[in-house]
Amino acid sequence: MNFIRIIPSLLLSNKRLVKGKKFVNHINAGYPSSTCLALEGQKCDEIFLIDLDSYNNNKEPDFTSLNEISKNISTPITFGGGIKNIKQAKKVFRYGADKIYLSQILFKDKGIIYKIKEIYGSQSIVAGINIITHDQKYYLLEDRKKKIDILDHIISLIKCGVGEIKITFVNNEGSEKGMNLEFSKKIISNIDLPIIFEGGLGNVEQIIDMIKIGANSFAVGSMITFKDYNIYKIKQYLFNKGYKVRF
Amino acid sequence: MKVGILDYKACNLGSVFSSLYQLGIDPIIINSPKKIFEIDRLIIPGVGAAKNCMDYLKQNSFIEPIKKFLANKPVLGICLGMQIFAKKLYENGLSEGIGHIDGEVKKLDTKIKFNIGWREVQFINKINKKMNIDDMSSFYYCHSYYISLKKNNYCAAMSCLESSNQIPAIIYKDNFIGTQFHPEKSQTNGSKFLEFFLNWKKN
Repeated sequence: MNFIRIIPSLLLSNKRLVKGKKFVNHINAGYPSSTCLALEGQKCDEIFLIDLDSYNNNKEPDFTSLNEISKNISTPITFGGGIKNIKQAKKVFRYGADKIYLSQILFKDKGIIYKIKEIYGSQSIVAGINIITHDQKYYLLEDRKKKIDILDHIISLIKCGVGEIKITFVNNEGSEKGMNLEFSKKIISNIDLPIIFEGGLGNVEQIIDMIKIGANSFAVGSMITFKDYNIYKIKQYLFNKGYKVRF
Repeated sequence: MKVGILDYKACNLGSVFSSLYQLGIDPIIINSPKKIFEIDRLIIPGVGAAKNCMDYLKQNSFIEPIKKFLANKPVLGICLGMQIFAKKLYENGLSEGIGHIDGEVKKLDTKIKFNIGWREVQFINKINKKMNIDDMSSFYYCHSYYISLKKNNYCAAMSCLESSNQIPAIIYKDNFIGTQFHPEKSQTNGSKFLEFFLNWKKN
């Protein structure tokens, strides 16, 4: 069995880390470089870093902060948020990320996947799937007309050449009420790629519920930012319950 | 000691640079073939696609200088940087490798075609003692192609993927040492490995 991956999910805005709920109401959550160093000390398995300013407002991604973080740690970094073109993608790797996170752009220009894949390989591309629930149905956040089938969307991205998927349950973000088990199960049984789940985790029992249905990688935000948890504590808890984690 | 990092215009150059810097080294970026002869040790990073990387090295006349360097001085290849020393690579179409290692680079034949995350490394012949690394320590992997060796005698460590599916984790031959995992991203164990390489002398 492979190690369960526990990945801090960090949002970057104005050179600071922030954390919000359901993608809004962001408050200051610390200084990027020192926070990442602390997370490495807690044996996080990777770090996810999303630039909110470039995601929301067309700004150039904050490569300076990325570079500073990368200089201080030797933990794998995935960077993204509003990546628009191959020029920016190249900078992502140049400034110390190991994987690139793409989400919005996948609705406008899937061609970027081919371009990145050709230079950096598929293993370096993480596709972000933002899922919202409405009347107990599941939709993609970016799909205003609510017409795209989520699984079809993921499969088309795999065909283009992404190597990993990150599922975010947007409605659950910051809610600490757990993940959508049934829908997660459907994705796991249909998709043969590594999948990271994010959105709604508030305690370790909820992580165990997800492991039981076959998930093994989790991005955590609120849980470590605002609660009395840290990565090491989460892993210790999982270890005590008999799950395979890395220290 | 002068340590060079080969820049083939893909790769996570920044990460490798930082991890060496943390070990007290001021790495030199090698972006032209003649610069190779100014250094004592060469590191070829990963994070790239095979065809694009080999095409770049050929078009910019890096192959012969790398071979000449390898005849006298140590080279570390990380992930794709290791795979390019095989004879043939199949990512994005066939490319001819440098050919120092008798093997081929193929797509993983596991159910999930990507090996992303931390895996335990099982050492052969107690070589880990020299590295000051415990057997079954974990390292970070991020790849979908692996090196399939003709003979296993150059293999220093293996990693287990699904059930019985094992892939080479560390290979070495003459002045060459290569890792499928990313030491620059493997926290404490990775630093120990890089330190081992910086002090590595051929037997």
